[in-house]
Amino acid sequence: MTVQSTTLTRSLARPTFLSGWRALWAVMKREWMIFVRYPSWVIALFIWPIIFPLSYVLTAQALSGRDGSGMAQFQAVTGVQDYIGYIAVGTIIWMWQNVVLWNVGFALRNEQLRGTLESNWLSPTWRFAYLLGSSAPQLLSMLMFLTVSAIEFVLFLGVQFQGSLWLTLLTILVAIPSVYGLGFAFASLVITLKEANAFVFLVRGIVMIFCGITFPVSILPDWMRPVAAWLPQTYIIHAVRSASLSSDGLPAILGDLKALALFGVFWLTVGYLVFNWMERRARRTGAIGQY
Amino acid sequence: MESNLLLSQPTTGSHLRALFAIARKDWKQYWRYPLNAVSTIFQPVIWLAPVYFMGKAFSVNGQALGFAQYSGTSDFMSFIILGAVLGNFINAVFWGMGYALKNDMDAGVMESNWLTPIPRLLILVGHSLTNLVVTAVTSLGMLIVCGLVFGFHPTGDVWGAVLAILPMLIGLYGFGFAFAALVLIVREANTMVDMSAFLVQIFSGTDFPVTVLPKWLLPIALILPLTYGIDAARGLLLNTNTLLAIGTEIALLIVFMFVMLWFGAWIFARLERRVRIMGTLGQH
Repeated sequence: MTVQSTTLTRSLARPTFLSGWRALWAVMKREWMIFVRYPSWVIALFIWPIIFPLSYVLTAQALSGRDGSGMAQFQAVTGVQDYIGYIAVGTIIWMWQNVVLWNVGFALRNEQLRGTLESNWLSPTWRFAYLLGSSAPQLLSMLMFLTVSAIEFVLFLGVQFQGSLWLTLLTILVAIPSVYGLGFAFASLVITLKEANAFVFLVRGIVMIFCGITFPVSILPDWMRPVAAWLPQTYIIHAVRSASLSSDGLPAILGDLKALALFGVFWLTVGYLVFNWMERRARRTGAIGQY
Repeated sequence: MESNLLLSQPTTGSHLRALFAIARKDWKQYWRYPLNAVSTIFQPVIWLAPVYFMGKAFSVNGQALGFAQYSGTSDFMSFIILGAVLGNFINAVFWGMGYALKNDMDAGVMESNWLTPIPRLLILVGHSLTNLVVTAVTSLGMLIVCGLVFGFHPTGDVWGAVLAILPMLIGLYGFGFAFAALVLIVREANTMVDMSAFLVQIFSGTDFPVTVLPKWLLPIALILPLTYGIDAARGLLLNTNTLLAIGTEIALLIVFMFVMLWFGAWIFARLERRVRIMGTLGQH
C-alpha cells in the first residue's frame, strides 16, 4: 500500500480582525487575573509612593540646613519653591518607567519561563497581541498608582498641586506611547538576551542620572545635557512638574508635548519593528523555547 | 529490627568541612555570574547620582553648609557614600541571607541538604560567611568607584571605623538567620524583603543624618541598632557629629551583636521545626 503525502500550503486557521481582538482580550483578562491573584501589590501601591520620594526629600531637608540656607540656594538655582513636590513628581515618573521595564519588559520573558510562550506562538493569532495585552492591565494599574501617589503626596508630604489637573492628564496621555514603546522594544530584546536584569538596571539608571528626577537638568555638566535632551523622560518630568505644580498653563509645556508626541511615534515604531524582528529571528533560530 | 544507632559520626572536623564546602559552593556560584558583581559595584553610582546633583543645587562653592549644620561635615558625598556602603550590607542580609534557604528550595537541593547529619544552623552560617566576604569585596569595589566618581575623603580613623562596624555586621547577620527562616515560611516574599530593606535603610540614616526625621519618626531610627553603627562609623571616619558618645554606641553594638545572634538562632530553630511539621520544606 502506498501512502501519499500531502502538503498543505494554506493555513487551516482563518484569522480575522475580530479574532485578533478576541485574542487581545483573552491575554488582557489572563494578565489581570494573574495581577489580582497576588495581593501584595496592594501594599506596594500604597507604600512605595511615600517611601521612595521620602528618602530624597529627607536628604534635601538635610542639605537645606537647620536655618534653611541651603534651601535658599536651591531656590535661587532652580526657581522652585516647593522642593517636595519637585522631588515627588520626578521620582514618581522614574518609578513609572521602572515598573514598565520590569513588567512590560519581562512580559514575554515570564511567559517563556512559564513554558507557555512556544505553544501560544503556535496559535494562529496576532502575535503582537501577547505584548499589547500584557501592557493594558499594567497601564491600568499604573494609572491607579499615579492617582494614589498624587493623593498621598497631598496628604502625607503636603504637596500643593497648584496646576491644572487636565493639563497633567494630557501630559500623561501624551507620555504613554514613549514609555510603553520603550517597554515593547525592551520586551522583545529580553527574549533574545534572556537574563536581562542588568539591562533594566542600565536603562533605569540612565533615566535616574540624566533626566533630573531630583534636580534641574541645567545643573548637569555640559556633556551630559545633550544626552538628557534625547530622553523622553526628561520632557515628561519637566512637563508634569510644570502642569501640576505651577499655574503657567499650556504654553509652558507645549514644547514638551510636541517632543513627547514625536518620541511616542518613534518608540512605538521602534517597539513594533523590534518585536517583528525578534519574532522572525526567534522562529529561525528556534530560540523561543530556550531559557 | 529497629536501630537507634546513627551511622553518621559527626565531629567538629566534619562540621568544619561541611561549613567550608557550603561557603566554597556559594563563592563559586556567585562569581559564575560576574555581571552581578559588576552590577553591585556600579549600581550605587546610579543611585547616588541624583543625590550628588541635588547636593550641588544646595551648595555654595561646592560646600554644603546647610548639611554641615545637621551632620558636622559639609562633605555630604563622603557622608552618603559611607552610608551607601553600609547600606549594601543591609541589602545583602535582606536579599542574600533572606533568600539563602529559599534559593536552595528553588534549586531543589533543600530537602537533601536537610537530611545530611550536620546542624541545620551550620548551613545558614556557611551561607552567611560567603555573603559577608562577597559583600565586603563588592563594597570595597563600590567605595573605590564611588570615590573616583564623586570623591570620598575620609579624614579620621579607618581601622577604628572597621572595628566599630564589625559587631554591627555580625549582629546584622544574626538577624539574617531569623529573616531567612521567615522567608522559608512565607516563601513568596519579594515585596516584604524589598520594602523592609528600603525602610531599614531610611530609618538607620544611610542617606541623611537621622536628626532630620520628623519627631514622630525619630524614635524608630533610635531603636534600630544599625543607626548607631552607621553613626559611629561616620563619626570615626569623617569626624561627624554623633548621636551618643562613640564608646557608648560601640557598647550598644556589642550588646546588639550577642542579642541578635541568640535571637536569630532561636527564631531559626522554631521556624525550621514548624516547616518540618508542616512538611513544606520541598514546596515552593
